Amino acid sequence: MIRYDFLMVILGIMLGCDGVPSHDPDRNYKSIEKALLSKFILAKDSSVIQLEEGHFIFKNSLILDNKKHIILRGRGIDKTVLSFKIQENGAEGLKITNSENIVLQDFTIEDAAGDNIKVTDTKGVIFRRVKSAWTGQVNEENGAYAIYPVLCTNVLIEECEVLGASDAGIYVGQSKDVIIRNNKVYWNVAGIESENSENVAIYNNQAYNNTGGILVFDLPGLTRYGRKIKVYNNEVYDNNLMNFAPPGNIVGAVPSGTGIMVLATREVEIYKNKLENNNTIEVAAVSYALIEAINDQKSQKSNNSASSAQTYDDELPDPYYNPYPGAIYIHDNTYGDVSLFPNLSNDFGRLFFWKFGFDRPQIIWDGMESENYLLSNGSLNPDYKICIKEVGVKTAILDADNDFEDLVTDPESFNCEI
Amino acid sequence: MISGCQPNQSASNILFEEEEVGLAVNNEDLGHKNLSAYGFFTGILADLVPAKNVYPYELNTPLFSDYAQKKRFIYLPEGSIIEYHPTQVFDFPVGTILIKNFYYKDAQLTDQKGGIIETRLLIKKADEWQGLPYIWNKEQTEAVLEITGGSRVVSLLGKQSINYQIPNMGQCKDCHQMNGTLQPIGPTAGQMNRNYLDDGGRLINQLRRLSRLGLLSISEKEIFPKISVWNDPASGSIDERARAYLEMNCAHCHRREGSAKNSGLYLMSSNHDRLELGIMKTPVAAGNGSGQLAYDIVPGDPDGSIMLYRMNSTEPAVMMPELGRKMVHKEGVALIRSWIASLK
Repeated sequence: MIRYDFLMVILGIMLGCDGVPSHDPDRNYKSIEKALLSKFILAKDSSVIQLEEGHFIFKNSLILDNKKHIILRGRGIDKTVLSFKIQENGAEGLKITNSENIVLQDFTIEDAAGDNIKVTDTKGVIFRRVKSAWTGQVNEENGAYAIYPVLCTNVLIEECEVLGASDAGIYVGQSKDVIIRNNKVYWNVAGIESENSENVAIYNNQAYNNTGGILVFDLPGLTRYGRKIKVYNNEVYDNNLMNFAPPGNIVGAVPSGTGIMVLATREVEIYKNKLENNNTIEVAAVSYALIEAINDQKSQKSNNSASSAQTYDDELPDPYYNPYPGAIYIHDNTYGDVSLFPNLSNDFGRLFFWKFGFDRPQIIWDGMESENYLLSNGSLNPDYKICIKEVGVKTAILDADNDFEDLVTDPESFNCEI
Repeated sequence: MISGCQPNQSASNILFEEEEVGLAVNNEDLGHKNLSAYGFFTGILADLVPAKNVYPYELNTPLFSDYAQKKRFIYLPEGSIIEYHPTQVFDFPVGTILIKNFYYKDAQLTDQKGGIIETRLLIKKADEWQGLPYIWNKEQTEAVLEITGGSRVVSLLGKQSINYQIPNMGQCKDCHQMNGTLQPIGPTAGQMNRNYLDDGGRLINQLRRLSRLGLLSISEKEIFPKISVWNDPASGSIDERARAYLEMNCAHCHRREGSAKNSGLYLMSSNHDRLELGIMKTPVAAGNGSGQLAYDIVPGDPDGSIMLYRMNSTEPAVMMPELGRKMVHKEGVALIRSWIASLK
């Protein structure tokens, strides 16, 4: 844990008295709300909105809508600070909608009631050297997403620093053609999450001290599905933070101590990452049913005492959704030694400790099989192949469908290439 | 920068340097500075007596706005007509201005006189609509364009004192959005299909009236759809009224063409897909809005449903709709509660 202590020193931040991380920068706020709001509203296409040095506090979301080629530029991380600590209206700090080619760079944004920066329905957005954070001790009252492009195309997120999100730090949802690189993400529930997105490259990032480092998720009932994701050259370590997501959210099901998790997504390649001391599991591929089951159990039980009257079409929920992971290739990653201290804060950590003791696997698949898992000729359907080419790691199929009875270690079925 | 064990500073205790007032922004290219300059009304401005080419209208189930009363008018350029559509917002001619006045009556308030707070305009330009907020002065003699919006303290009798929010220009489109462009919400056939008391004291259907004035392109035989009046049991079943309420208060964003399409929750009253309506649907990006609950709607269990939880909140990160109210609409919540209880 030397690295952990070192980080605390270089960041000038310490753990709170009860071991919960806390971010408490000095701030000296000033209001420029109406002036800046006017600039946002009146901004002409192809213009720069320059933010000066200072700590600026806002009661309302800053909305930039239907603009083209705008650069919103501060004087640097922690030099220009946009704070939404007293937010009264709107859930987002910065909200960018229906725009084209927007650049956000060189500022800090913090403490929005909901998401710090949400960009939606936008073609071309760059987040560069943006620090997005919640101050104080990390807790479930923090906003959900720190950097949140959704329904966007051509997204670049680079050299950002992201902390404190009660859901995902960097969260790309329902987007296409995305690069996430050279970022530093910590103290979030999910460090980086790609959800229902296509053509996503996640590389050269440092994801540490989150609940889960990097997540690749696909959920039902949304506007698009995810595929073609590459996760490489990242350092993913010490993601052992307690899960502080508000129950009811899907990331609430991510076990503390998760390095990289692929949920119900196909065509995912994970390679050349450095994985270390994620003390539940380094890499996991799981199905939606498993996560849903965990979540159901966690959120409040609802009584289904339905009575009379109205019913609606009882169709299958999202018939086009495929709840199983597949076409996953995990290779050439490096792994630290399996931690002597198992993570007993969650069911998986306990299961692994119970089944394997100190010889736990680094990579698992939950073993839930699609009905099309085998082709009619009996061979494995390439859509559901999970191939692992690693040196000196232990792998396992959990047989989650069958109460983990026929759990298999180092199965031959992982010995393939894609 | 050493963190202590103190609790986080509460937002209300945060001191900061206030902004200098007297911001000079020339907005002449957006619209008139003063509401009176448009000439929508004759006589005393605050009496809102429509001038020529200005026509009043009402909706069956309006958006809840902190119990504010609303007076709506359409200004139509001389000689132009509105294109009728049975299910969508009518196609208005260029130059149309929709005028919505928000006011409280004396009897609604305590220690305060009633009056008009704000007037919102939606102006149909050549290729798009534009929204402009005007704020009334205390003397009620004029309203002035204020693109950054504002707020007013309003003390509602028997309720609470709120900081009523007048939206800024950027916020107009939070609600008024279809496929990324600004659009009116209210003036649909279903919403406007209701009787109106005209100057002669006669009840007349609003759409027929516009048609007879030659302002709406329909035949006398046209059969209009109708949206229930949310709080009038004679106008529809609980299901119909709840769906009308959800359409007007939620579906401007929660529809396939709306800004909340990423949620997969679609609440237009024409939708009958269980999952899209939120029935046993898990939230997508709700954050604290989940209220520790698993599903948007659990049939038969209003208190186990995220929808009701969010309608019952006034916290910015939790409340739905996100904007436009500072209070819980108790009567609206009661309706949705009965509706969810009736679902199976």
